[in-house]
Amino acid sequence: MAMEQDHARFESLAMPHLNAAYNLARWLTHNDHDAEDVVHESVIRAMRYIGSFRGESARAWLLQIVRNTTFSWLRENRSADVVALDDNDDSLQQVAAPSAEEPPALAMRNADRRQINDAIAALPVVYREALVLRELEDLSYAEIARIADVPIGTVMSRLARARALMREALTPSARPALRPVPRVVNGGNK
Amino acid sequence: MTNQRETQMIDAFVDGELDLAGQLEIEERMRLDPATAQKVQGLRQLRETIREKADYHPAPAALRKRISAGFGAAPTATHRPRASVVSALQRWLGWRPMAGSFALAAAAVVAFNLAWLHAAQDDRVLDDVVASHVRATLGQHLVDVASSDHHTVKPWLSSKLDFSPPVSELQLPGSVFLGGRVDYLDGRPVAALVYRQGPHVVSSFVWPATGKDRNPEFAETRGFQTARWTHDGMQHWVISDVNRGEFDAVVQAIRAAESSR
Repeated sequence: MAMEQDHARFESLAMPHLNAAYNLARWLTHNDHDAEDVVHESVIRAMRYIGSFRGESARAWLLQIVRNTTFSWLRENRSADVVALDDNDDSLQQVAAPSAEEPPALAMRNADRRQINDAIAALPVVYREALVLRELEDLSYAEIARIADVPIGTVMSRLARARALMREALTPSARPALRPVPRVVNGGNK
Repeated sequence: MTNQRETQMIDAFVDGELDLAGQLEIEERMRLDPATAQKVQGLRQLRETIREKADYHPAPAALRKRISAGFGAAPTATHRPRASVVSALQRWLGWRPMAGSFALAAAAVVAFNLAWLHAAQDDRVLDDVVASHVRATLGQHLVDVASSDHHTVKPWLSSKLDFSPPVSELQLPGSVFLGGRVDYLDGRPVAALVYRQGPHVVSSFVWPATGKDRNPEFAETRGFQTARWTHDGMQHWVISDVNRGEFDAVVQAIRAAESSR
């Protein structure tokens, strides 16, 4: 009976946030199969810890478990993805500086879905995590800090850098190296 | 010129995560420095583009099925001791038929007291709601974060509270969304959203509910119209000095905005 109660409590608390859980895992693992496994394992863990839930935000609570499960999984299976990032690295700060002259708004508006998705997918995992939680889950800095287990200042710098990298990836003028590649016109020699 | 702190402050500004002083500082800088204004504009565009175009991956049906199937599985070892306590209690009750009816009577008394306590608590909250609304309108301190954009107000409130309140502008003629503030009601911090309806101020208080959904109950107290309801795990109290007809429209608009989210 106690277990049924736990299940009922879990279903009402955590199941409404299953989409958020899956979305985070999917963005971090890059594929459906792994995301399903990770979320399934997270749910089992969450069930075990349901007793420790103290009535704060259920979404943040579940996402924290998903986040930790995903990172353990990444460390085991994709250790190259989780290279330690130095949050105080100045060289990234330079990349982050937006130039005042560029009119990036237009390029961003014109970016298509694939470009946006590719640009997010290409972000280092901790930046991607911060951006997904902020923009796709609409979480506050405080909630993201709790989920990622870092100070709010770190969330701020990760988000700022994630956005700077996005801007760079989406603004053609900011990556001139990619532009001179000649385009092969199909059927040009016919 | 662009340093780390400034970049982050502009990001935080766009995210509505700055306190009032910081927000005013950036707004002032935007006015004086076109480059700052442009950065803010660029960030807003980036945010909108990501929110609009990035894939959102909802949980597949197969995963939901797999999880529900797990719920039906055999009890795990950790739960067995508790289950045996329950069956011991049942055996004990079985031996003493009288105990069963005592338990029933006790439960009825508890339920009655709980209902009475609930009513008393509602009265107390109503007093708090009126006091908070009057204090805000008297002192002209209506909002901590002044913005008609719910994308600014919601993140700001979420960062100050342990929950994320539903925030939206109202689809109602004559209604202006003034912003939000954090208030203290019923022994906890709550979100207060403030609208202007013609010359009248409407305060809408929101905090997580413990009970089930409840339909709106209207009341009139000291010349104020009030309504309370529970929806989707959030408790709502709305108060204003508009007339009853207009108040109904406001409440309806708030509920419509909430369910269309």
